[in-house]
Parts: sequence; structure tokens; C-alpha cells
Amino acid sequence: MKKKQINLEHTNQKKLIPAYIFIGLWVVFTFMLIGWVVFASFSTSNEIFSDHMFRFETGFHIENYAKAWKTQKVSVFFMNSLLYTVVSCSAIILISAPAAYVLSRFAFKGNNISQMLLASALGIPVIMIIMPLFGIVSKLHLTNNRWLLMFLYIAMNVPFTVFYLLAFFKSLSVTYEEAAYIDGCSPMGTFWKIMLPLVQPGIVTVTIFNFITIWNEYFMSLIFANKQNVRPVAVGLYNMIQAMRYTGDWGGMFASVVIVFLPTFILYIFLSDRIIAGVTAGAIKG
Amino acid sequence: MIIAFLTPAMLCYLIVFLYPSIRTFIMSFFKIVSVTDPIKASNFIGFGNYHKLFHTQLFLQSMSNIGKIWFFGGVGVMLIALLFAVALTSGMKHVKFFRSVIYLPNVVSAVAMGTMWINYVYNSDYGLLHNFFKTLHMTKASQFLYTGQDHLFWSMLVAYCFGMVGYHMLIFMSSIEQIPKDYHEAALLEGANAWQRFFHVTLPYLRGCIRTNLVMWTVFTVGFFVWGQLFSPVNLSNATVAPMNYMYEMVFGASSSANTVRDSGAGAAIGVCMMVIVLIVFALTNLITKNDDTQM
Repeated sequence: MKKKQINLEHTNQKKLIPAYIFIGLWVVFTFMLIGWVVFASFSTSNEIFSDHMFRFETGFHIENYAKAWKTQKVSVFFMNSLLYTVVSCSAIILISAPAAYVLSRFAFKGNNISQMLLASALGIPVIMIIMPLFGIVSKLHLTNNRWLLMFLYIAMNVPFTVFYLLAFFKSLSVTYEEAAYIDGCSPMGTFWKIMLPLVQPGIVTVTIFNFITIWNEYFMSLIFANKQNVRPVAVGLYNMIQAMRYTGDWGGMFASVVIVFLPTFILYIFLSDRIIAGVTAGAIKG
Repeated sequence: MIIAFLTPAMLCYLIVFLYPSIRTFIMSFFKIVSVTDPIKASNFIGFGNYHKLFHTQLFLQSMSNIGKIWFFGGVGVMLIALLFAVALTSGMKHVKFFRSVIYLPNVVSAVAMGTMWINYVYNSDYGLLHNFFKTLHMTKASQFLYTGQDHLFWSMLVAYCFGMVGYHMLIFMSSIEQIPKDYHEAALLEGANAWQRFFHVTLPYLRGCIRTNLVMWTVFTVGFFVWGQLFSPVNLSNATVAPMNYMYEMVFGASSSANTVRDSGAGAAIGVCMMVIVLIVFALTNLITKNDDTQM
């Protein structure tokens, strides 16, 4: 019996050879894309244009990174994005977790409609909301304001986060609350001290998501942050690439690209399982 | 407690989603030049903005572009995603590694991904495709201008779709994994081959997830913007313009091109058109899955 099973497994693997080849090529291509940019970021413009760029005849040009970081203001964009993502991600949880808890636990008038409204936000395209938002913001003279940008990031990601956490709260047993009630814990205290820590896995996953979304966000910042000192990485990088095409500093340009994708890339390398589990859980509801 | 806990989230929704959507809807019926102009001071022109849009060549071009992205890109992405998902769930080794790498482009900034494609893969001096065809001694193919005006759209589409496969693949994979093993075993015992098992066991089970994928694909297509800007950075070009690029040009008028006049009313009308597209797709997919459920 055991022998037969191994045989089955063996033929199965043989049958899968085309799949291995196709997926393998896809994977190799992905690596080449990213690997090439990393190599190019250590080369000079001349080397990139020659056909022997991977030999590094003039050594590794780490100074590309220093140049990009300092003279091309990547440091400014990077620090802006870091501030925006960290503040927004924390605030999103503080706003969404209580809402998700209430919506998952209590039956009250307007519960269903609140859930429906929040769900509708997942399908509203940015193009539908951008104009009035810009109208209000420019009337209040808040363009190029860091706090405004963060507020927008927070508000735009709250509906998704509420939805995501809702499922986690639903899966918790009511006995936790009953026990807390018997021990004399207030409903508020129950939430902050008992329920919130229990959904920690969900919070971590959704925060990674929000982090990636906000770090890579492009359209809102293109419109609301058109001064260099408030720009986040995506728009900053775009402008830099356009500028560097004319100055011809290709090494520096690719170094900037690497600096920009590195944070989410590293996050992904360590947490890819969590992120992937999150994609599928979020999509089933979405 | 309910009020205290729910209010901040609902406020966010009201300020950033509900109010602007309603206002955009109203704006689309008025003649408004700048976004900051009040509606009260503007003229009601009914469907004038829509009428004008559908007689503007650039807008029609942008609609046809996202139509092509939606259809051709959609078919390509869904087929590859489904193929990968089926392959990865049928006993391949190193599944975790493969699926992580395939999903990877989704976590990298689109600006960075686009730069890699334009400056590496499609480059006609030292690019990947150039060198690949050169080593095969296919001079013609190696000198092909991928980012020339004639091929720009398809080059952009391929680059865009490459990154999208991972997301849809994950959704397919999670559904396939939920199919009870007994179904496949029963079919296997009855002598069904791999194709029959796919079409009669796997595919019917995937209806809900095909719906999710379709709706998400539509939402992504409607929001198509960065890639168009990356592939034609200076002016709007027929090959890469999407409704959102056109709206950006009309409302925020960043580039120097003179072929668009400031018109926020028309911009709002574009927004409403996009919303309607999403709603239609949502309703249609709903209908399809509902009918299926009653049959089953």
C-alpha cells in the first residue's frame, strides 16, 4: 500500500513538470527584475549602458545611495512616509478596533446599515471622492499639510480595517465577556484589557496591510502634497525619476528605487505568510 | 459605549466617502470650472457634462483603453492566476516559496515596479528583452521598440498585469483549498481525469471566488492611474490615457499640455461613470452567483 502511494506521488510530480517550468520561469523573471535594479544601483551610468554592467570593474558604487539619500532628498521622502505610515497605522487601529467590536457584539438599531455603509466604501473609487475633498481642503488652506494627509490616509483605510477586524471579534467566544462581567470589569475595561489583546493577530496582519498600502500610496499624495518637504516616497520617487532622466544619473535613480521598495520588501520577506493569509481573509469578505 | 466606539469610524466614513460621493454626483450636473467654485454659483446643465464627455475623443479613447485593460488584461490575468492556483494546490513542492514570489510585486510600490519595466525589461539598448532576443540572434525582435507609441499600450498592459496575477492567484488558491478532498477522491474513484475533475469539481466550486476576483479586477481597473502616468510621464497620450488620468488633467491640470481645458464638472461626471461601472459589474456578478445558487 505504502509503495503504491509513493508511486502515485512520483507520477504526480512528473505530471507537474510543465507547471514547475512555467512557474519557475515566472519566479526567475521576478528575481531578475529586482536583482537587476539592485545591481544597477551599485553601478555607474556608463556601466549600465554597456553590456558588461555586472562585472563591477570600477567597484561597487555605494556612493549612489549616499547621493540619492542626501542630494536627491530621498531622506526627506523616506522620513515623511515613515511618519505618515506609523501615525496612520496606529490611529487606524484605535478608530477601527472599537467600531469593529461594537458592530460584532451588540445588536442595535443601525448596526446593519453601518456595516453596509462601511462595506460600500470598499467599492467607491478614489476618483469619485477626490474633487470635493480637494475643494474642502483648499478652502481650509490645508494643502501640503502633513496632518491632513495623515487624516486622509486614516479615514480611507478605516472601513477596510473595521471589516477585517469584525470577523476576528465575531470568532471570539462570549464567555470572555461573561467572565469579565462576573469579576466586575466594566464593558470599556473588558474591551481594552481583554478583547483587544485577543484579536492581536488580526491587528498585526491588518496593520501590515495598511502599512504597505500607505507606504505605496500615490494618487492622494500627488494631489495633496505638491511641495517637496511633505511628499511621501511614491510621489517623491516619481518626480525624482523624471528629473534624473534628464540629469542622467541612472545609478542614483536605481538606488532611490531600491531605497523606496526596501521597507515593504523586507517586511514581506519576514511576514509573507501572514500577509498572504490576510489577503485571502480580506478578499472573502470584500 | 456603542456611540463612543462607533462614532469616530462613522465620521471618517461620512467625511471621506459619503459626503464627497454625493457632492461629486451633484457636481457632475453643473458647469463648474474649478473644484473650489461653489455649486450655488454654477449653472445647472443637466447631462451636459456627460454629453460633452462622450463627444470628446480623448475621453472615448480613455474608456476604450480601460475597456481593453479590463477585458484582455482580465482574461490574461485570470487564466494565469487560475492556472498557477490549480498547479500550486495539486501537490507541488515549495508552494510557500512560489506563491510568495508571485505575490511579491503587489507589495512593491507601483512606481518602483514601473521603473524596472521601463528602464530594464523594455529598454532597447541593454534591456532584458533586447538581450534575450540578441542572444537568440533575432535581430528584428531585439530592436523592437516596446515603449514606442505603437506598442506602448500593450507593453504597459503586460507590465501591469504581471503584478496583478499574484493577488488573484491567492484568492483562487484559498477557494481551491476549501474544496473538500472527498469530492476529488470520489471523482477519482469514478475514473475522472484531471480535466474532468477541474471542470466538474473545481470550477463549479469557484463561483463565489470568481465573483470576488471580477469585482476586485473592475475596482482596480477603474482606479488605473499610476501606470498610465509612468508610461507617458509628460503629456497624456492616446496609448496610455485612462479616465482617471484624463480627470486629473482636467481638474488639477498639472502638465503643460494645452489639449485639455479646466472643467471640474466634467471631471465629476467621469467619477460618476466609473462608479456606475463598478455598480453594474457588482450587480451583474451578484445576479450570476444568485442564479447559480438556486440551481444547485
